[in-house]
Order: sequence, then structure tokens, then C-alpha cells
Amino acid sequence: MKFLDALEEWIIATLMGAATLLIFIAVVHRYAAGLPIPVVQDWLLKIDLSWAQELCIYMFVWMAKFGAAYGVRTGIHVGVDVMINRLPPKTHKAYVLFGLLAGALFTSIVGTLGATFVWDIAHTDSVSPDLEVPKWIVYMCIPLGSYLMCFRFLQVAWAFWRTGELPHHDVAHVEGIEDAQDINPYALDDNLHPAPLSEGGRK
Amino acid sequence: MSTLVPPVPADAPRWPGLIPPVLIAIPVLLKFAGVPIANAWIIFALLFGLMLTGMPISISLGLTVLTYLFTMTSVPIESVALKLFTGIEKFEIMAIPFFILAGNFLTHGGVARRMINFASSMVGHWHGGLGLAGVMACALFAAVSGSSPATVVAIGSIILPAMVKQGFPARFGAGVITTSGALGILIPPSIVMVMYAVATNTSVGALFIAGVIPGLMLATMLGLTTWWRARKFNYPRQPRASWLERWRTFRASAWGLLLVIVVIGGIYTGIFTPTEAAAMSAVYAFFVAVFVYKDMSLAKVPRVLLDSANMSAMLLYIITNAVMFSYLMTSEQIPQELAAWMLDKGLGVVAFLLFVNIVLLLAGNVMEPSSIVLIMAPILFPVAMKLGIDPVHFGIMMVVNMEVGMCHPPVGLNLYVASGITKMGITELTIAVWPWLLTMLAFLVIVTYWPALSLWLPRTLGMMGS
Repeated sequence: MKFLDALEEWIIATLMGAATLLIFIAVVHRYAAGLPIPVVQDWLLKIDLSWAQELCIYMFVWMAKFGAAYGVRTGIHVGVDVMINRLPPKTHKAYVLFGLLAGALFTSIVGTLGATFVWDIAHTDSVSPDLEVPKWIVYMCIPLGSYLMCFRFLQVAWAFWRTGELPHHDVAHVEGIEDAQDINPYALDDNLHPAPLSEGGRK
Repeated sequence: MSTLVPPVPADAPRWPGLIPPVLIAIPVLLKFAGVPIANAWIIFALLFGLMLTGMPISISLGLTVLTYLFTMTSVPIESVALKLFTGIEKFEIMAIPFFILAGNFLTHGGVARRMINFASSMVGHWHGGLGLAGVMACALFAAVSGSSPATVVAIGSIILPAMVKQGFPARFGAGVITTSGALGILIPPSIVMVMYAVATNTSVGALFIAGVIPGLMLATMLGLTTWWRARKFNYPRQPRASWLERWRTFRASAWGLLLVIVVIGGIYTGIFTPTEAAAMSAVYAFFVAVFVYKDMSLAKVPRVLLDSANMSAMLLYIITNAVMFSYLMTSEQIPQELAAWMLDKGLGVVAFLLFVNIVLLLAGNVMEPSSIVLIMAPILFPVAMKLGIDPVHFGIMMVVNMEVGMCHPPVGLNLYVASGITKMGITELTIAVWPWLLTMLAFLVIVTYWPALSLWLPRTLGMMGS
């Protein structure tokens, strides 16, 4: 489990950084290749980076799918929790569980649809326009990411069932504030996230 | 975090818990009873019912679409599945993760301190002193960081204690910072604007440029309110700073502010596309944070990458599902029906815009900006087009609406963050923000009914077709 967590974090952070570098290099290359420096210009013109945009999109789609699963674990997904946060603990608990299980249901449906879709195009020879990688590899992120997300929903639901705790995301964390106050608006009943059950329903 | 909201008692009424199932059941039962009701009602009842259960917005959007398609139509599910996969395969959307990354690199107390020093050296000697400086610092920091709650925390936790020490009432400072923190989504680069652009196929560049004048104007109006109230109650002022001091503080904050110039200048001159500008600004922000300001060590970079990826993935996931939802809207012809109904009733532009404002302000009560834009824009936009409203003007109006929504309960994110740093309750804060919230509402009316305010600059610069 630790390994899966670390792998998930490693994948999305790397994709984020790599995509940024990729576009940065592509832009610099585009302008550098226009500079009339002998030898260097010839060398730069030989490098073709027209596939950068497509690769960036695929990297971010992969990041989005796995990041969404990671987001379930960190509790970042926003919802409308105005009503359920005002319900008595028992009803509140039932709704939070319902929400989490609905998430698991939806992601498992999407994962299955995705798996069928990938299976179908794996039998064709369709490739992406610029990179010319087989499309089924590109779309593999949908079943993989969705099933992982489904697993995360079940994991969070199970933990909530047993302890009444939900993961909290700290949206307004700012580094370098000296009189460090532990501000965590998502633990503050912002009504965009369900409140945990500890301390009588609300923290 | 200490508690600020009393816990819900065990004997709180449970009947509100019945709202979601009843909401979903009514139109469905009516339909089966043979009452001719529009499918739109079923879709919306399903969506709102699912949303009210508190599940993530992205999930409720997706489930609504799947349920509706499975039960009510014969649209092949594969075509929807394809949307789910290809919905975010647009290069324009990728500006969002890049802008988030850029903002996260510069969301740092050190950057906030530089902005505050610069702002207070410029405007601190006028009435309102530090409060006025707070408005300006918020505008600057929000533009760079792109996050309203982070702005409230960063500027607020530095400037509010200083204000209280100088003798400002706590309420005054809290009101200033809570509302000014929301300026970020109007002053480019703004993620909410990219969302609108994606949902409606409007030019990101034109929207960014169009946001500049309204953004400055709102900052000025909030500043004027601060100035006026400070003069009335005779709040303390700062000694006037020398021009040398101003230059010194400007130099320190300029590195951060240059990010906005890189983005707007790059897009305007056509050096970059908006997405490339976003990527360049992320690299620039990394460079400034690590090598120029040295606020951040290289070891912290993976953490920033991970946090940015987390936030971006959440937004991209909402986008994916919102794309499916807007596909459903289009295939059921709901915007067209709404447009036909409005024209049929003889409702003109004025009435429509009023209606849009009310709907958006109501939505602002329960949702955060990105979700509102992604859900409402595809529905309202076609109607606006039919009525001849300019897409860019409509976008700016929506964004200003979102700003108002961030500053009032029950979900105003800024309020909750401000309540965390000021240790004031939500009710007290709600009273504290009133003067500035009223200013914002007045500004909303101006933006809504004076299109030239948003359209003049992009038109003059030739960023728009007509």
C-alpha cells in the first residue's frame, strides 16, 4: 500500500514537472532556431519538436486521471455540503457514505467503459497524429486511473465507516508565514467538503 | 484549527435529509404518471438532488449524465464514453495546471511581505493607511498567486496583526482583506477565465486583457470604500515614504509582478499562446522563487509539484465531467429551449442579465467558482449569444459574480479562511465585510450594464474580431 501511494505521488509530480519543462523547451527552441547563429541554428532546425504539444496533452491527461485518484485520498474534491453538514450525526454519516460509494460506483462504470474502449481500439491500428504511438496505450490511463480512483473511494469510505474521519485538504497553506497558524479551510466547514464525524459531527 | 462553528446537536432536525430523494423523485414520478414535463426538469432535479448529498460535484455531474442516458434515451453509451476520454484533450485547457503551478511557486509569505511593503510605501500615507495598502497588496498578490483563499491567508496573516497593533478595529481589517482577496480571479492570469474560455470557446487572451480595467476599477472602488470609512472614523495613517523607499520596495516586488507582464505581454504580442505563456510563467516563477527570492529551497520543489498536480487534477476532473454534461445539454437542446422561452416572453438583454446575475449569485451560495462556470456557462452562453451579448463581456460579468460569491456565507471560501486567521466567527465577519460587499455588488451592476468597461481595452488593442 505504501508503495502504491508513493508511486501515485511520484507519477503525478513527475508528469507535472516534465510537461512544464517540455513546453518550456519547445518554446525556447522555436525562438532559438530563428537566431542566425551558424552551426547551432542548423543543429536546432534539425530537431523537430512539433510533437511537444500532443505529448503535453497526454501527460496532463494521465496526470489528471491519477491525480483525481490521489485527490480522493487527500480529500480535495469539492462538493455541495451545505445541507449535509447541518444534519444530525447519523444522517450525516449515511450521506457521506452514500457520496463516497456513489463515487466508487461512477468510477467503476467509467473504468469498465474505458477498459472496453481500450480493448476495442487495441484491435485497430489507430495511432496518435504526431507521436504515432498506438492510441490504446494513450487511453490506458482511463481504466487504470478510474479503477485506482474507485479503490481510493472504497478505501476512504472504509476508513470513514470505522473512524468517522475524512481526509482533509489544506487549500490555503502558505509557506513562509512566521506566526504559523494551522489554517485549514477545508477542515473549517466551508460547506464545499463533508465535515468529519469526530467531535459531534463537526470539527 | 480551533472550532468556530458550533457542532450540530444529535437532535438537530433530520427532515432536510429527505430533500435530495424527494427532489429526484418528484419529476420522475410525474413523468411516469404521464404528465408531460420537459426532460430538462428531470436532468436538473437529478443533478441538484445528487449534488445536495454532498458527493463531489464532478461525480454528481457524471452520474447525472450516465443515469439519464441509460434510462431515458437511446444515445449510444460509447459516444458518451468517448467524450469522457477526449473531453480534456485540448491544449488550451492545459493552461490551468501551468497557472496553478506558477501561482504555487510564488504563494509564499516572503512574496506577500514584499508586496505589502511596496503597497504601504505607495498608499500607506493616505486615509486608511495599512488598510488601503492591504487592498493594493491583495490585488498584486492575488494576480500572481491566482488563489483567493491563499491571498487572504498570506496577506491577512501579515497585515492584520499589524493593523490591530496600530489601533484599527479587527473588523475593519478583516472586511478589507476578505473582499480584496477575491480580486485574483478578475485580474489576469485567472484560472476561472480559462475555464470560461474552455466552456464557451472564447479567446483566453481577449478575456485576460478585458479583465485588466474592471480589475483595476474594482480594486480602486474597494480602496475608496476603505479610504472613506477610514477618514470617517479617523483611523491611523502611515508616515509618507520617500521616493527612494518606494523604488527600493518596488524593486523587491517587481520580480513577482513581472509574472503578470510575462503572461499578458506574451499573449498580447503573440509571442506565446496562452498555454505556452502559462508554462513560461511556471518556469519563471520557479526561477524567481528558488534563485532570486530564495524563499524556496530546491528540496521543496517536488512538494509544490505534487500539490499543484493535486489541485489541477481535481479541476480537470470537473472539466471532464462538465464536458459530458454540456454534451447532454446540447443533445437535449436545453439552451435552445431556454432561449426560445426567453424570447417568447419578450425578455430582453436587460432582464436576461438580471436573471443571470441572480442565478449566479444563488449558485455562489453553494458552489465554488470553477464548478459554477463549468456548469452554468454552457447553459447560459447560447442564450446570451442569441440576445447579441458579447462573449467576452458575458465572461467578465460571470467572473465578477464569482468574486461576490467568495465573500458571503454559506460557502464563501474567503470568509472561512479569514475567520481562521482573525479568530472571528462567520456571523461577525459577515457583518464586517458588508461595506465592501455592497461596493462589489454596485460594481457588479456597473460591469453588467456597461459592456464598454470590459470591451474597450481588448477592442482597442485589436484582440477581438469586431
